[in-house]
This record gives sequence, structure tokens and C-alpha cells, in this order.
Amino acid sequence: MDTQEALKSAEALLTGYASTRSEENRLDGTLAPENLCAVVSNLVAARWGYLMAITGLDQVTLGQLEILYHFGAGAAILTLRIPLPRIPIPSVDSICPIIPYANVYERELGEMFGVEFRNSPNTDRLFLPDDWRSAVYPLRKDAVLNEE
Amino acid sequence: MDTTVPQRFVVPIGPQHPALKEPGHFEFTVDGEQVTGASVRLGYAHRGIEKATEGRNWVQNLYLLERICGICSHVHATAYCLGVEKLAGVTPPPRAQAIRVLVAELERIHSHLLWLGVAAHEAGFDTLFMYSWRDRETVMDILEALTGNRVNYSANLLGGVKFDLTSELTDKIYKGLELLEERTYQYVDVVTSDATLLQRTRGVGVTTREQAEQLGLVGPTARASGVERDIRVEAPYAAYPDFPVKVVTATAGDLEARFVVRLQELFEAYRLIRAVLEKLPPGELQARMPRKIKPAETVSRVEAPRGELFYFIKSNGTDQPERIKVRTPTLCNLASVCVLAVGSQLADVPMILAGVDPCFSCNDRMVTVYSGDTDHTQWTWKQLRQYGIDYYRR
Amino acid sequence: MTWQHVVDDIRTWARVNSPWVVHFNTGSCNGCDIEILAILTPRYDAERFGVKLEGSPRHADVLICTGPVTRQARDRLLRVYEQMPEPKFVIAVGSCAISGGVFQGCYNVIGHIDEVIPVDVYIPGCPPRPEAILDGVVKLLGHLKNPVLEETIQEAG
Repeated sequence: MDTQEALKSAEALLTGYASTRSEENRLDGTLAPENLCAVVSNLVAARWGYLMAITGLDQVTLGQLEILYHFGAGAAILTLRIPLPRIPIPSVDSICPIIPYANVYERELGEMFGVEFRNSPNTDRLFLPDDWRSAVYPLRKDAVLNEE
Repeated sequence: MDTTVPQRFVVPIGPQHPALKEPGHFEFTVDGEQVTGASVRLGYAHRGIEKATEGRNWVQNLYLLERICGICSHVHATAYCLGVEKLAGVTPPPRAQAIRVLVAELERIHSHLLWLGVAAHEAGFDTLFMYSWRDRETVMDILEALTGNRVNYSANLLGGVKFDLTSELTDKIYKGLELLEERTYQYVDVVTSDATLLQRTRGVGVTTREQAEQLGLVGPTARASGVERDIRVEAPYAAYPDFPVKVVTATAGDLEARFVVRLQELFEAYRLIRAVLEKLPPGELQARMPRKIKPAETVSRVEAPRGELFYFIKSNGTDQPERIKVRTPTLCNLASVCVLAVGSQLADVPMILAGVDPCFSCNDRMVTVYSGDTDHTQWTWKQLRQYGIDYYRR
Repeated sequence: MTWQHVVDDIRTWARVNSPWVVHFNTGSCNGCDIEILAILTPRYDAERFGVKLEGSPRHADVLICTGPVTRQARDRLLRVYEQMPEPKFVIAVGSCAISGGVFQGCYNVIGHIDEVIPVDVYIPGCPPRPEAILDGVVKLLGHLKNPVLEETIQEAG
């Protein structure tokens, strides 16, 4: 599929939500957390690409924590942006029931940014050491990482 | 004791590992010889590189990110450089882009030969391990002559590359490729005809096309199952638009297919290197880069020897990045090991693991995988049992 | 020559001619690990010194460590070290194993190898060439044969 065609069909799938072309081959859609699962289901049903990664962005000045779901189809990249409040605990529905392998990405995010994924099949600690202090999320900008 | 209930026994493997050279802890629940559950605990090589990038400037990060992985250091640096150049609006000169492709393909040769050796070693075929590593020295020599180091070549700079090709080097590369090509024919012959090796590879760890897509596999592991997924073709970067790549796929999806796909990719790499050498564009090696980069964000994807490598880079107007996110191919592929291991024989597990070419240093920089018979593998006990029965009936 | 002398000589002879090596990656980038593997292969052929890569630490004489020590790997490194029979020797390969290298200050890195276990030979480089690793192994063997050299080696290292 041609990149521009792919982006057009993604735009069609995102009708009703705010979407922008951030780069030549990228489409960004900003969603409220409750709409995420519906949009992801639509993407999967339309067989639009595959989930490439989930990124967390800590925006201290805006007081929000943004979660970015990157989907790729050929050269086209669709990013679903979910802004969440940083405090108390950002929380969003898990997309594992739709895309099972998203679990590892979600668990990475949960550990690194302290995001709660509702209905996730597995939220165990992933890669931080066994003796890591709880409620310290290393990739948050204000994380205190030195124990001393 | 109730003898009708099958006794479950857990075999822990790692983190200090007899076979793999990297730390990863595996626990296999076995029933007799058959694996009924698998879990992985990584993080032994997790260093926290993504956080570290936020405290260093753009140039320092190049050297840090190159050391995410010693095997595929060049692709990490390339993905990072391409991303940062896109953010800064700098176009590297065509000669630099071609040299990036050249080194990337040389690295692919070294990585695939390395894998061939390690996989053969897992199968107990040490002769092939010794042969392939002996021939790998040819490409290591080329890389050393080209860049000055055998591993972590530091070929990339922001905005270009560090070194140029001389006619002497070109001759050396041609000569090396000739030898490697001849040897690769022999390897293809060995992995497709050696009866002992075939018993360990043919029909073992089969991943169907549907499974490969569902598990989100990437790279040669996915291509061996018939999924045509290659960033060099789908979204050509650097000089790949000028030097098109032919995707190598197989349909069987077993370990033999993965051997064959990787070996066929070697031929493709030889062809590409020759093409680059013949049509190397003249000109500068480096474009000027600004020290600070305006606030923006971009996604940079490249095809590492193991599959798609994903970088998300966000700048904030200073000389340091706001956020760099790295998703390595091993993460996508490793989850499949737990699924494939379940139902196979314990002795086949090292082969299945080696089959995806795992690279924990890449992986652990961020993430670990856990998967057991109770979670997202989605296999019920009944299905699992049926899988095992079918396996032995065949 | 006393009986004890003879036994010691035989022991040293055996140890020097057949050091079994176990390798542990404590958080390295793999660069050093593939070079260690390379010394076993035909071009460098460490087996001519009797070096054999052994899977189990319980059978090994020499522990080769690579990489900075991560928080998660620390206990495992100690456990591997403790499982090895006496006398045991440790070789730290690569800049990260010696000083932490580029990973100094990362939140999950607690430091270099000799903050956790005693190290006998340091081999610098990022990564060191296989020749350098071989040289380090041979220096260690020389030190076993002739312990008087111990101080010189430590100074040189």
C-alpha cells in the first residue's frame, strides 16, 4: 500500500477525533483514554499495520503524562496520543485483549512511568531489579534515583 | 502420594548460561521431556540507557547508544543519526549515506555468521561453529581496515560518516566477499542436507504465518514464516532507495527456514555491497550539524540484522534530547520463544531460543518479557495437551 | 625436595596447562562477549594454552567478567563466584568491567567488577582485541607459574 493512501485510510479510521499530519509519513491522533480501545479495535479490524511500540512522555510543565501508541504500515506511521494527568496515578485501559503482544510494552511503561493499565492480564515487574524501591519510576523526569 | 497427577518439575536455566553468552533467566516447567510452561526473567543487563540519554548532549549520546549492543552497534547509531538529522533538517551527503549502507551490510554479514555459529553450537554441531567463526574473521578484518575497530566501529557522525573508502580498501572488500560467497554456498549446502543437523532443525519450532503476525515477529524470524516485513524495502532509509533490496522469505517457518533465510540474506548483502562499491557517489562525507535542535519529534526505523529497530526521538530546543525511546527487535521476537517452547521437547528449547537470534543487551536496556502458560500465550491446558499429542504423533 | 613440594609442582603444572574458564556477562553490551568467543575459534585458538570454556562455575578455575555490574546481576555474580572452587581467578574484560565505561552513573549500574569481587587481571579496551584478551589470559597463567611476578602484573594491569 502506498504511504499516502495508508495515511488517508488511517485518517478515515480516525474520523471524529483530532488528527494532524506531524510529518510527511506520520499521522498523529489525540484521543481521550476511554476511546483508545475502540480505535485500536477498528485499526485491527481494518488490518491497518501493526503495533510497533508504546512510548511514554513525561511532560512535567503541562502536568501530564502522554502515552504514544505507534502503529506502522509500510512507511506510514500512525501515532495515537493519550494525554493523562500525572497525578495521582495515570490510568488507561489495557489493549492486550485486542493485541496480546502489547503486554510487554504496557508492562514496560507501567514500571518506567507508573501508568496503570486496567484489565491487563499481567502487570508483574519486568526488568527493574527485584530489590527496586516501589513507587519510583525511573523515566519520570522528577524521579529520585539516588538512594543515598 | 497421588501418582495419577503428573508431577511438574521446573528446570531453571541461567542467568549464567552454558550456551548463550548473555544473561537471561529461563524457567521451563517440564512433564517428562516435554515443556509445559515457560517463563523468562531478564533485566540482568538492564543499565538504564534511556534515562542516561536525557542527561547527555546529542553528540555524547551517539557513543552511548552505539554501546546498547556490541553486535549491531552500527544500526543503533544509524537509526539515531537519521532521526536526529531529520529533526535538525540536515541532509547528509549521498556518499556518507552510501557508506552507511555499506557498513550496515558488512555488519549484517558479521551478525548472521555469528548467529550461524552460535545456533550450530546450540545444536551440538561445533564444527560448523568453528568454520563459520573462522570465516567471520574475514568480515571482521574488513570492518577493522575500514573503521579501525572490530566491534563498535563508530562509523557514524551526526550529519555523515567518519571515514572514506580508498581503492586499497575496495580491493580488500572485493577479495573478502569472493571468499565469503564461496563459503556461504557451502553453508547453505550443509544446513539443508546434513542429516544430523536437519533432525534438530526441520519441523522444529514451527511458526505459521498467522502466528508470526499475531506475535508481532520481525526480521528474519518473521521472514522465515513468510511475512514480508523489511524496513529496507517498506520505508527505505539512508541510501537504500538507490540500492533496492530483494526480500528473502521462506514459508516453512521452522528452524531450517530461519537458517536458510539468514544465509540467503548473506548473498543479498554481498550483492548490495558490490553495488554500493560500484556506484559510490562522490562528494563530501559530512554535513554541518547545529549544536541545539528545535523542539520536534520524529520516528526513525531501520532494519537491524535481527529485525526492525525503532527509535522515537523528541528534542526540546536544547543540546540534549527530551526523550529517546528504543524498541529493539529482540523484544518482539522473544515473546515467541515462550509460546514455541511450550509443547516441544526440553532438548529443543536451546535451538528454539537461538532461532530468534536473541540479543539481551539490546533488549534489557529497556524491557523484559514474562510469559507463562497462564498469561497472554492464550493456550488452554487442553489445547496445550493436544499440541503435545500431535507433536509426537507426527 | 619434599613430598609437599612435588605435589605443589604437579598441581601448578596441571593448573597452568589446563585452565577452565567460565564466562559471565554482568550487563555488558555484547561487544566483549563476542570477542571472548572469538578467542576460542580457529584464528586465535585459545585451546593451545589449554583454555576451555566451561558451562558450570563449579568446574571452572577462571571467571571472565564483562560489563558494568547491574543491580540485578550483582547477586548472581557473587553467587557464580562463590560456587567456583578455590583457587579461583577473575579476569575483567573491557572498559565497563574496569570502570563502568560509558554506563557510569546509569541508575541501574552499581559499578565495576572489583567493587563486587576481587579481580586479578584487567584487560582494557572497548572492546579489547582478541589478542589482548589472550595476552591477559597468558599473563595470568604466567603469574600462576611464577607467583613472584604478581606485583609486576598488578602494576602493569
